Amino acid sequence: MSFEPIGPTPAARAGKIALLVLPFLAGLLCVLLSFVPLSQIIYIDVAPAFALMAVYYWAVHRPDVFPPYAVFAVGLLYDLLSAGPLGLWALVYLIVYGLVVSQRTLVVAQSFSVIWVGFFVAALINGVLGWLLASFYFGQMLSIWGVLGQMLATVAIFPVFANLFQKLQDWLLVQG
Amino acid sequence: MIDQTNRPALPIRDVSGRVPLIFMVSLAAALLLLGRAETYVVDRARQVVTDLAAPLLEMASRPVAAVRRVVESTDQYAYVFDENERLRVENKQLIEWKERAIQLEARLARYEALLNVQVDPEISYVTGRVVGDSGGPFVETFIVNLGRRQGVESGQAVVDTQGLLGRIVATGVEASRILLLTDLNSRVPVVIESTQVRAILSGDNSSTPRLDFLPPGSEFQAGERVVTSGHGGLLPPGLPVGTVVEGEDGLYTVRTYSDRTKLDMVRVLQYLFPTEVDAQDPPPILEGTAEDAPGAVSAIPGSRATPTGDGT
Repeated sequence: MSFEPIGPTPAARAGKIALLVLPFLAGLLCVLLSFVPLSQIIYIDVAPAFALMAVYYWAVHRPDVFPPYAVFAVGLLYDLLSAGPLGLWALVYLIVYGLVVSQRTLVVAQSFSVIWVGFFVAALINGVLGWLLASFYFGQMLSIWGVLGQMLATVAIFPVFANLFQKLQDWLLVQG
Repeated sequence: MIDQTNRPALPIRDVSGRVPLIFMVSLAAALLLLGRAETYVVDRARQVVTDLAAPLLEMASRPVAAVRRVVESTDQYAYVFDENERLRVENKQLIEWKERAIQLEARLARYEALLNVQVDPEISYVTGRVVGDSGGPFVETFIVNLGRRQGVESGQAVVDTQGLLGRIVATGVEASRILLLTDLNSRVPVVIESTQVRAILSGDNSSTPRLDFLPPGSEFQAGERVVTSGHGGLLPPGLPVGTVVEGEDGLYTVRTYSDRTKLDMVRVLQYLFPTEVDAQDPPPILEGTAEDAPGAVSAIPGSRATPTGDGT
Protein backbone atom coordinates (compact mmCIF):
# COMPACT_ATOMS: atom_id res chain seq x y z
CA MET A 1 0.00 0.00 0.00
CA SER A 2 2.73 2.38 0.97
CA PHE A 3 4.41 1.88 -2.44
CA GLU A 4 1.35 3.07 -4.28
CA PRO A 5 1.96 6.20 -6.31
CA ILE A 6 0.26 9.40 -5.32
CA GLY A 7 -3.45 9.06 -5.92
CA PRO A 8 -5.46 11.26 -8.21
CA THR A 9 -5.90 14.84 -7.10
CA PRO A 10 -9.40 15.86 -5.96
CA ALA A 11 -9.83 17.74 -9.23
CA ALA A 12 -9.02 14.62 -11.26
CA ARG A 13 -11.38 12.59 -9.09
CA ALA A 14 -14.14 15.15 -9.65
CA GLY A 15 -13.41 14.91 -13.37
CA LYS A 16 -13.82 11.13 -13.23
CA ILE A 17 -17.15 11.48 -11.45
CA ALA A 18 -18.29 14.07 -13.99
CA LEU A 19 -17.25 11.66 -16.73
CA LEU A 20 -19.55 9.01 -15.32
CA VAL A 21 -22.44 11.22 -14.27
CA LEU A 22 -22.83 13.84 -16.98
CA PRO A 23 -23.45 11.53 -19.98
CA PHE A 24 -26.03 9.71 -17.87
CA LEU A 25 -27.71 13.00 -16.92
CA ALA A 26 -27.69 14.01 -20.58
CA GLY A 27 -29.49 10.73 -21.35
CA LEU A 28 -32.14 11.42 -18.69
CA LEU A 29 -32.63 14.94 -20.01
CA CYS A 30 -33.15 13.48 -23.48
CA VAL A 31 -35.95 11.32 -22.08
CA LEU A 32 -37.63 14.35 -20.51
CA LEU A 33 -37.27 16.23 -23.77
CA SER A 34 -39.38 13.55 -25.49
CA PHE A 35 -42.28 14.54 -23.27
CA VAL A 36 -42.15 18.28 -23.79
CA PRO A 37 -45.24 19.02 -25.90
CA LEU A 38 -43.30 20.00 -29.01
CA SER A 39 -46.19 18.79 -31.17
CA GLN A 40 -47.89 22.08 -30.32
CA ILE A 41 -45.49 24.02 -32.51
CA ILE A 42 -44.11 21.54 -35.04
CA TYR A 43 -46.32 19.09 -36.83
CA ILE A 44 -45.12 15.77 -35.50
CA ASP A 45 -47.21 12.84 -34.39
CA VAL A 46 -44.71 11.39 -31.94
CA ALA A 47 -41.71 13.20 -30.50
CA PRO A 48 -38.35 11.88 -31.78
CA ALA A 49 -36.65 9.28 -29.58
CA PHE A 50 -34.05 11.66 -28.17
CA ALA A 51 -32.88 9.06 -25.66
CA LEU A 52 -31.94 6.65 -28.45
CA MET A 53 -29.49 9.23 -29.79
CA ALA A 54 -27.78 9.41 -26.42
CA VAL A 55 -27.63 5.61 -26.16
CA TYR A 56 -26.18 5.28 -29.67
CA TYR A 57 -23.72 8.13 -29.37
CA TRP A 58 -22.16 6.93 -26.14
CA ALA A 59 -22.25 3.28 -27.22
CA VAL A 60 -20.16 4.23 -30.26
CA HIS A 61 -17.76 6.71 -28.67
CA ARG A 62 -17.42 5.87 -24.98
CA PRO A 63 -19.31 2.79 -23.83
CA ASP A 64 -17.24 2.94 -20.63
CA VAL A 65 -18.96 6.16 -19.52
CA PHE A 66 -22.43 4.97 -20.49
CA PRO A 67 -22.67 1.46 -19.00
CA PRO A 68 -25.66 -0.91 -19.36
CA TYR A 69 -27.25 0.23 -16.11
CA ALA A 70 -27.36 3.80 -17.44
CA VAL A 71 -29.08 2.51 -20.59
CA PHE A 72 -31.51 0.56 -18.43
CA ALA A 73 -32.29 3.60 -16.26
CA VAL A 74 -32.85 5.80 -19.30
CA GLY A 75 -35.20 3.25 -20.88
CA LEU A 76 -37.04 2.65 -17.63
CA LEU A 77 -37.64 6.37 -17.07
CA TYR A 78 -39.05 6.55 -20.58
CA ASP A 79 -41.37 3.62 -19.85
CA LEU A 80 -42.53 5.03 -16.53
CA LEU A 81 -43.29 8.44 -17.99
CA SER A 82 -44.97 7.20 -21.16
CA ALA A 83 -47.44 4.84 -19.44
CA GLY A 84 -46.51 2.21 -22.00
CA PRO A 85 -45.45 -1.35 -21.21
CA LEU A 86 -42.96 -1.18 -18.34
CA GLY A 87 -39.53 -2.36 -19.46
CA LEU A 88 -40.28 -2.22 -23.18
CA TRP A 89 -37.89 0.56 -24.17
CA ALA A 90 -35.44 -0.42 -21.43
CA LEU A 91 -35.14 -3.84 -23.09
CA VAL A 92 -35.03 -2.49 -26.65
CA TYR A 93 -32.41 0.15 -25.83
CA LEU A 94 -30.26 -2.46 -24.07
CA ILE A 95 -30.38 -4.79 -27.07
CA VAL A 96 -29.58 -1.96 -29.47
CA TYR A 97 -26.81 -0.81 -27.11
CA GLY A 98 -25.34 -4.34 -27.01
CA LEU A 99 -25.41 -4.59 -30.80
CA VAL A 100 -23.83 -1.18 -31.28
CA VAL A 101 -21.08 -1.82 -28.72
CA SER A 102 -20.22 -5.12 -30.39
CA GLN A 103 -20.02 -3.44 -33.82
CA ARG A 104 -18.58 -0.10 -32.78
CA THR A 105 -15.16 -0.72 -34.31
CA LEU A 106 -16.86 -0.56 -37.73
CA VAL A 107 -17.89 3.07 -37.31
CA VAL A 108 -15.94 4.66 -34.47
CA ALA A 109 -12.93 5.89 -36.44
CA GLN A 110 -14.91 6.72 -39.57
CA SER A 111 -16.33 10.00 -40.80
CA PHE A 112 -19.56 11.36 -39.38
CA SER A 113 -21.65 10.21 -42.35
CA VAL A 114 -20.70 6.60 -41.59
CA ILE A 115 -21.73 7.09 -37.98
CA TRP A 116 -24.98 8.62 -39.21
CA VAL A 117 -25.68 5.61 -41.46
CA GLY A 118 -24.90 3.40 -38.47
CA PHE A 119 -27.48 5.34 -36.49
CA PHE A 120 -30.02 4.83 -39.28
CA VAL A 121 -29.53 1.06 -39.01
CA ALA A 122 -29.66 1.18 -35.20
CA ALA A 123 -32.87 3.26 -35.28
CA LEU A 124 -34.43 0.84 -37.74
CA ILE A 125 -33.60 -2.14 -35.51
CA ASN A 126 -34.86 -0.18 -32.51
CA GLY A 127 -38.16 0.65 -34.20
CA VAL A 128 -38.88 -2.84 -35.52
CA LEU A 129 -37.88 -4.47 -32.24
CA GLY A 130 -40.06 -2.07 -30.23
CA TRP A 131 -42.96 -2.65 -32.58
CA LEU A 132 -42.62 -6.45 -32.36
CA LEU A 133 -42.42 -6.44 -28.56
CA ALA A 134 -45.33 -4.01 -28.19
CA SER A 135 -47.43 -6.12 -30.58
CA PHE A 136 -46.71 -9.20 -28.47
CA TYR A 137 -47.41 -7.28 -25.28
CA PHE A 138 -50.79 -5.97 -26.41
CA GLY A 139 -51.63 -9.24 -28.18
CA GLN A 140 -52.50 -7.58 -31.46
CA MET A 141 -50.80 -6.28 -34.57
CA LEU A 142 -50.09 -2.59 -34.01
CA SER A 143 -49.47 -0.16 -36.81
CA ILE A 144 -45.76 0.06 -37.53
CA TRP A 145 -45.97 3.41 -39.35
CA GLY A 146 -46.08 5.50 -36.19
CA VAL A 147 -42.82 4.11 -34.86
CA LEU A 148 -41.11 4.20 -38.28
CA GLY A 149 -42.08 7.86 -38.65
CA GLN A 150 -40.66 8.52 -35.22
CA MET A 151 -37.40 6.77 -36.13
CA LEU A 152 -37.05 8.76 -39.38
CA ALA A 153 -37.53 12.02 -37.47
CA THR A 154 -34.94 10.83 -34.96
CA VAL A 155 -32.40 10.01 -37.69
CA ALA A 156 -33.04 13.40 -39.31
CA ILE A 157 -32.13 15.41 -36.22
CA PHE A 158 -29.30 13.12 -35.07
CA PRO A 159 -26.51 15.44 -36.32
CA VAL A 160 -27.69 18.24 -34.01
CA PHE A 161 -27.60 16.02 -30.95
CA ALA A 162 -24.38 14.26 -31.99
CA ASN A 163 -22.81 17.70 -32.14
CA LEU A 164 -24.03 18.53 -28.63
CA PHE A 165 -22.80 15.22 -27.24
CA GLN A 166 -19.47 15.77 -29.00
CA LYS A 167 -19.12 19.11 -27.20
CA LEU A 168 -19.92 17.43 -23.89
CA GLN A 169 -17.40 14.67 -24.60
CA ASP A 170 -14.65 17.14 -25.53
CA TRP A 171 -15.33 19.14 -22.41
CA LEU A 172 -15.21 16.00 -20.28
CA LEU A 173 -11.88 14.93 -21.83
CA VAL A 174 -10.40 18.28 -20.88
CA GLN A 175 -11.76 17.90 -17.35
CA GLY A 176 -10.77 14.25 -17.01
CA MET B 1 -5.89 4.88 -28.27
CA ILE B 2 -7.65 5.94 -25.12
CA ASP B 3 -6.94 2.52 -23.64
CA GLN B 4 -3.20 2.89 -24.12
CA THR B 5 -2.85 6.39 -22.76
CA ASN B 6 -5.40 6.22 -20.01
CA ARG B 7 -4.80 3.02 -18.07
CA PRO B 8 -7.34 3.61 -15.26
CA ALA B 9 -10.10 3.52 -17.89
CA LEU B 10 -9.59 -0.23 -18.24
CA PRO B 11 -11.27 -1.47 -15.06
CA ILE B 12 -14.36 0.58 -15.81
CA ARG B 13 -14.51 -1.01 -19.23
CA ASP B 14 -14.25 -4.46 -17.73
CA VAL B 15 -17.14 -3.75 -15.40
CA SER B 16 -19.22 -2.58 -18.33
CA GLY B 17 -18.54 -5.79 -20.20
CA ARG B 18 -20.93 -8.53 -21.10
CA VAL B 19 -22.16 -9.66 -17.70
CA PRO B 20 -23.93 -6.43 -16.64
CA LEU B 21 -25.48 -6.17 -20.09
CA ILE B 22 -26.95 -9.66 -19.90
CA PHE B 23 -28.11 -9.02 -16.34
CA MET B 24 -29.80 -5.76 -17.33
CA VAL B 25 -31.43 -7.32 -20.38
CA SER B 26 -32.93 -10.09 -18.22
CA LEU B 27 -34.07 -7.53 -15.67
CA ALA B 28 -35.84 -5.49 -18.37
CA ALA B 29 -37.43 -8.63 -19.81
CA ALA B 30 -38.62 -9.67 -16.35
CA LEU B 31 -40.12 -6.21 -15.80
CA LEU B 32 -41.90 -6.45 -19.13
CA LEU B 33 -43.49 -9.73 -18.09
CA LEU B 34 -44.28 -8.55 -14.55
CA GLY B 35 -45.66 -5.21 -15.69
CA ARG B 36 -48.27 -7.08 -17.70
CA ALA B 37 -50.08 -7.60 -14.41
CA GLU B 38 -50.19 -3.82 -13.78
CA THR B 39 -49.56 -4.20 -10.09
CA TYR B 40 -50.02 -1.55 -7.44
CA VAL B 41 -46.26 -1.06 -7.19
CA VAL B 42 -45.95 -0.31 -10.89
CA ASP B 43 -48.82 2.18 -10.71
CA ARG B 44 -47.30 3.89 -7.70
CA ALA B 45 -43.89 4.09 -9.39
CA ARG B 46 -45.47 5.67 -12.45
CA GLN B 47 -47.30 8.24 -10.36
CA VAL B 48 -44.26 9.16 -8.33
CA VAL B 49 -42.08 9.56 -11.43
CA THR B 50 -44.79 11.56 -13.20
CA ASP B 51 -45.19 13.81 -10.18
CA LEU B 52 -41.44 14.36 -10.01
CA ALA B 53 -41.12 15.10 -13.71
CA ALA B 54 -44.19 17.32 -13.89
CA PRO B 55 -42.52 20.52 -12.59
CA LEU B 56 -39.64 20.08 -15.05
CA LEU B 57 -42.04 19.42 -17.91
CA GLU B 58 -44.14 22.36 -16.85
CA MET B 59 -41.10 24.62 -17.02
CA ALA B 60 -40.12 23.25 -20.42
CA SER B 61 -43.63 23.54 -21.80
CA ARG B 62 -43.86 27.25 -21.05
CA PRO B 63 -41.52 28.42 -23.82
CA VAL B 64 -43.24 25.95 -26.17
CA ALA B 65 -46.61 27.51 -25.35
CA ALA B 66 -45.13 30.99 -25.79
CA VAL B 67 -43.70 30.16 -29.22
CA ARG B 68 -47.00 28.65 -30.18
CA ARG B 69 -48.86 31.80 -29.20
CA VAL B 70 -46.47 33.93 -31.28
CA VAL B 71 -46.94 31.64 -34.30
CA GLU B 72 -50.69 31.72 -33.88
CA SER B 73 -50.90 35.48 -33.56
CA THR B 74 -48.79 35.94 -36.70
CA ASP B 75 -51.15 33.61 -38.50
CA GLN B 76 -54.05 35.64 -37.25
CA TYR B 77 -52.58 38.91 -38.54
CA ALA B 78 -52.26 37.40 -41.99
CA TYR B 79 -55.90 36.40 -42.15
CA VAL B 80 -57.48 39.17 -40.13
CA PHE B 81 -59.61 40.51 -43.00
CA ASP B 82 -61.00 37.14 -44.13
CA GLU B 83 -61.55 36.13 -40.57
CA ASN B 84 -63.48 39.30 -39.87
CA GLU B 85 -65.80 38.67 -42.83
CA ARG B 86 -66.37 35.09 -41.77
CA LEU B 87 -67.09 36.05 -38.19
CA ARG B 88 -69.58 38.72 -39.27
CA VAL B 89 -71.59 36.11 -41.18
CA GLU B 90 -71.29 33.61 -38.36
CA ASN B 91 -72.36 36.20 -35.81
CA LYS B 92 -75.51 36.93 -37.79
CA GLN B 93 -76.40 33.24 -37.80
CA LEU B 94 -75.59 32.90 -34.13
CA ILE B 95 -77.90 35.76 -33.16
CA GLU B 96 -80.75 33.88 -34.85
CA TRP B 97 -79.74 30.73 -33.03
CA LYS B 98 -79.61 32.58 -29.76
CA GLU B 99 -83.21 33.70 -30.15
CA ARG B 100 -84.27 30.14 -30.76
CA ALA B 101 -82.18 28.85 -27.90
CA ILE B 102 -83.76 31.29 -25.44
CA GLN B 103 -87.23 30.25 -26.55
CA LEU B 104 -86.42 26.56 -26.37
CA GLU B 105 -84.73 26.92 -23.03
CA ALA B 106 -87.82 28.53 -21.55
CA ARG B 107 -90.04 25.85 -23.01
CA LEU B 108 -87.76 23.07 -21.81
CA ALA B 109 -87.61 24.46 -18.29
CA ARG B 110 -91.40 24.55 -18.27
CA TYR B 111 -91.69 20.94 -19.37
CA GLU B 112 -89.09 19.83 -16.87
CA ALA B 113 -90.98 21.57 -14.11
CA LEU B 114 -94.27 20.05 -15.19
CA LEU B 115 -92.88 16.55 -15.34
CA ASN B 116 -90.65 16.90 -12.28
CA VAL B 117 -87.71 15.59 -14.27
CA GLN B 118 -84.54 14.85 -12.36
CA VAL B 119 -82.24 17.02 -14.40
CA ASP B 120 -78.58 16.12 -14.78
CA PRO B 121 -76.42 17.46 -11.99
CA GLU B 122 -74.37 20.49 -12.82
CA ILE B 123 -70.81 19.68 -13.72
CA SER B 124 -67.99 21.62 -12.15
CA TYR B 125 -64.58 21.60 -13.75
CA VAL B 126 -60.96 22.58 -13.34
CA THR B 127 -58.80 23.88 -16.15
CA GLY B 128 -55.18 22.94 -16.57
CA ARG B 129 -52.41 22.89 -19.10
CA VAL B 130 -51.09 19.91 -21.01
CA VAL B 131 -47.45 19.74 -19.96
CA GLY B 132 -46.43 16.32 -21.25
CA ASP B 133 -46.73 14.76 -24.69
CA SER B 134 -47.40 11.08 -25.16
CA GLY B 135 -43.71 10.48 -25.84
CA GLY B 136 -44.12 7.00 -27.27
CA PRO B 137 -45.39 5.51 -30.51
CA PHE B 138 -47.61 2.90 -28.84
CA VAL B 139 -49.40 5.01 -26.24
CA GLU B 140 -51.69 7.98 -26.54
CA THR B 141 -51.57 9.71 -23.19
CA PHE B 142 -50.90 13.24 -22.06
CA ILE B 143 -49.82 14.68 -18.74
CA VAL B 144 -51.84 17.60 -17.39
CA ASN B 145 -50.72 19.84 -14.51
CA LEU B 146 -53.73 19.06 -12.33
CA GLY B 147 -53.76 16.49 -9.57
CA ARG B 148 -55.49 15.36 -6.43
CA ARG B 149 -54.86 18.78 -4.92
CA GLN B 150 -57.24 20.24 -7.51
CA GLY B 151 -59.79 17.48 -6.92
CA VAL B 152 -58.93 15.46 -10.03
CA GLU B 153 -59.74 11.76 -9.80
CA SER B 154 -59.37 8.76 -12.04
CA GLY B 155 -62.22 8.38 -14.50
CA GLN B 156 -63.07 12.03 -14.91
CA ALA B 157 -63.72 13.25 -18.44
CA VAL B 158 -61.29 15.66 -20.10
CA VAL B 159 -62.49 18.05 -22.81
CA ASP B 160 -60.82 20.67 -24.95
CA THR B 161 -62.73 23.54 -26.52
CA GLN B 162 -64.19 21.31 -29.21
CA GLY B 163 -65.19 18.10 -27.50
CA LEU B 164 -64.25 15.07 -25.46
CA LEU B 165 -60.56 14.34 -25.42
CA GLY B 166 -60.28 11.37 -23.09
CA ARG B 167 -60.35 10.60 -19.42
CA ILE B 168 -58.06 10.66 -16.42
CA VAL B 169 -56.45 7.28 -15.70
CA ALA B 170 -53.92 8.11 -13.00
CA THR B 171 -53.55 10.99 -10.60
CA GLY B 172 -50.63 12.26 -8.65
CA VAL B 173 -50.59 15.13 -6.22
CA GLU B 174 -49.85 17.78 -8.84
CA ALA B 175 -50.14 15.98 -12.17
CA SER B 176 -52.43 13.50 -13.84
CA ARG B 177 -52.42 11.34 -16.91
CA ILE B 178 -55.06 11.62 -19.62
CA LEU B 179 -55.87 8.52 -21.66
CA LEU B 180 -56.91 9.81 -25.08
CA LEU B 181 -59.89 8.43 -26.98
CA THR B 182 -57.43 7.23 -29.60
CA ASP B 183 -55.38 5.04 -27.23
CA LEU B 184 -55.44 1.29 -27.63
CA ASN B 185 -56.94 0.87 -24.16
CA SER B 186 -59.67 3.48 -24.44
CA ARG B 187 -63.32 2.31 -24.47
CA VAL B 188 -66.07 4.90 -24.17
CA PRO B 189 -69.83 4.28 -24.42
CA VAL B 190 -71.33 6.62 -27.01
CA VAL B 191 -74.59 7.18 -28.89
CA ILE B 192 -75.23 8.52 -32.34
CA GLU B 193 -77.19 11.62 -31.47
CA SER B 194 -79.93 11.65 -34.09
CA THR B 195 -80.91 7.98 -33.93
CA GLN B 196 -79.81 7.11 -30.37
CA VAL B 197 -77.91 4.07 -31.67
CA ARG B 198 -75.52 2.91 -28.97
CA ALA B 199 -71.95 1.84 -29.53
CA ILE B 200 -68.57 1.60 -27.86
CA LEU B 201 -65.86 3.90 -29.12
CA SER B 202 -62.63 1.87 -29.15
CA GLY B 203 -59.26 3.49 -29.68
CA ASP B 204 -56.70 1.69 -31.82
CA ASN B 205 -53.75 4.13 -31.76
CA SER B 206 -54.88 5.57 -35.09
CA SER B 207 -56.24 9.11 -35.29
CA THR B 208 -59.81 7.84 -35.81
CA PRO B 209 -61.20 5.47 -33.14
CA ARG B 210 -63.63 2.68 -34.14
CA LEU B 211 -67.33 2.29 -33.37
CA ASP B 212 -67.69 -1.22 -31.94
CA PHE B 213 -70.71 -3.25 -30.86
CA LEU B 214 -73.14 -1.44 -33.12
CA PRO B 215 -76.54 -3.14 -32.91
CA PRO B 216 -77.19 -5.18 -36.09
CA GLY B 217 -79.34 -3.35 -38.57
CA SER B 218 -78.81 0.03 -36.99
CA GLU B 219 -79.23 2.83 -39.47
CA PHE B 220 -77.25 6.03 -39.60
CA GLN B 221 -75.12 7.91 -42.04
CA ALA B 222 -71.62 9.18 -42.17
CA GLY B 223 -71.31 12.71 -40.84
CA GLU B 224 -73.72 12.27 -37.94
CA ARG B 225 -72.81 13.55 -34.50
CA VAL B 226 -71.56 11.14 -31.86
CA VAL B 227 -71.92 12.07 -28.19
CA THR B 228 -71.18 10.25 -24.94
CA SER B 229 -74.08 8.16 -23.71
CA GLY B 230 -73.35 8.34 -20.01
CA HIS B 231 -73.85 4.60 -19.67
CA GLY B 232 -71.77 3.11 -16.94
CA GLY B 233 -71.95 6.37 -15.03
CA LEU B 234 -68.34 7.36 -15.57
CA LEU B 235 -68.71 10.15 -18.11
CA PRO B 236 -71.52 12.70 -18.26
CA PRO B 237 -73.99 12.09 -21.09
CA GLY B 238 -74.15 14.34 -24.11
CA LEU B 239 -70.52 15.44 -24.40
CA PRO B 240 -69.71 16.00 -28.08
CA VAL B 241 -67.24 13.38 -29.33
CA GLY B 242 -67.04 13.61 -33.11
CA THR B 243 -68.64 12.73 -36.43
CA VAL B 244 -69.13 9.32 -38.00
CA VAL B 245 -66.85 8.39 -40.89
CA GLU B 246 -67.54 5.32 -42.97
CA GLY B 247 -64.51 3.18 -43.69
CA GLU B 248 -64.02 1.26 -46.92
CA ASP B 249 -64.46 -2.11 -45.21
CA GLY B 250 -67.88 -1.36 -43.75
CA LEU B 251 -66.40 -0.38 -40.38
CA TYR B 252 -67.39 2.93 -38.90
CA THR B 253 -64.89 5.23 -37.29
CA VAL B 254 -65.21 8.61 -35.61
CA ARG B 255 -63.33 11.78 -36.42
CA THR B 256 -63.05 13.43 -33.05
CA TYR B 257 -63.83 17.12 -32.55
CA SER B 258 -60.94 17.42 -30.12
CA ASP B 259 -57.61 17.95 -31.82
CA ARG B 260 -54.73 16.23 -30.06
CA THR B 261 -52.13 18.12 -32.08
CA LYS B 262 -53.33 21.51 -30.83
CA LEU B 263 -53.69 20.95 -27.14
CA ASP B 264 -52.97 23.68 -24.68
CA MET B 265 -55.56 24.20 -21.98
CA VAL B 266 -57.97 21.38 -21.17
CA ARG B 267 -60.84 21.06 -18.73
CA VAL B 268 -61.31 18.15 -16.36
CA LEU B 269 -65.00 17.65 -15.64
CA GLN B 270 -65.88 16.68 -12.09
CA TYR B 271 -69.03 14.77 -12.79
CA LEU B 272 -71.02 12.94 -10.14
CA PHE B 273 -73.38 10.19 -11.13
CA PRO B 274 -76.99 11.35 -10.50
CA THR B 275 -77.44 8.85 -7.65
CA GLU B 276 -74.50 10.33 -5.78
CA VAL B 277 -75.99 13.81 -5.48
CA ASP B 278 -79.07 15.19 -3.82
CA ALA B 279 -82.21 15.54 -5.88
CA GLN B 280 -81.75 17.89 -8.79
CA ASP B 281 -85.05 19.63 -9.04
CA PRO B 282 -85.97 21.40 -12.23
CA PRO B 283 -85.91 25.17 -12.17
CA PRO B 284 -89.09 26.46 -10.57
CA ILE B 285 -90.54 28.44 -13.42
CA LEU B 286 -94.17 28.07 -14.19
CA GLU B 287 -94.73 31.78 -14.43
CA GLY B 288 -98.23 31.64 -15.86
CA THR B 289 -99.87 29.70 -13.00
CA ALA B 290 -98.91 31.58 -9.86
CA GLU B 291 -97.28 34.66 -8.46
CA ASP B 292 -94.10 33.08 -7.13
CA ALA B 293 -92.36 30.20 -8.74
CA PRO B 294 -91.81 27.76 -5.80
CA GLY B 295 -95.49 27.81 -5.00
CA ALA B 296 -96.28 26.91 -8.55
CA VAL B 297 -94.13 23.84 -8.42
CA SER B 298 -95.63 22.60 -5.20
CA ALA B 299 -99.04 22.84 -6.85
CA ILE B 300 -98.19 19.54 -8.51
CA PRO B 301 -98.66 16.79 -5.90
CA GLY B 302 -95.41 15.34 -4.65
CA SER B 303 -93.30 17.47 -6.88
CA ARG B 304 -90.92 18.61 -4.14
CA ALA B 305 -88.76 15.59 -4.31
CA THR B 306 -86.88 14.82 -1.12
CA PRO B 307 -83.14 14.28 -1.38
CA THR B 308 -83.70 10.54 -1.10
CA GLY B 309 -86.65 10.66 -3.48
CA ASP B 310 -87.46 7.67 -5.58
CA GLY B 311 -87.30 9.74 -8.73
CA THR B 312 -83.69 8.73 -9.30
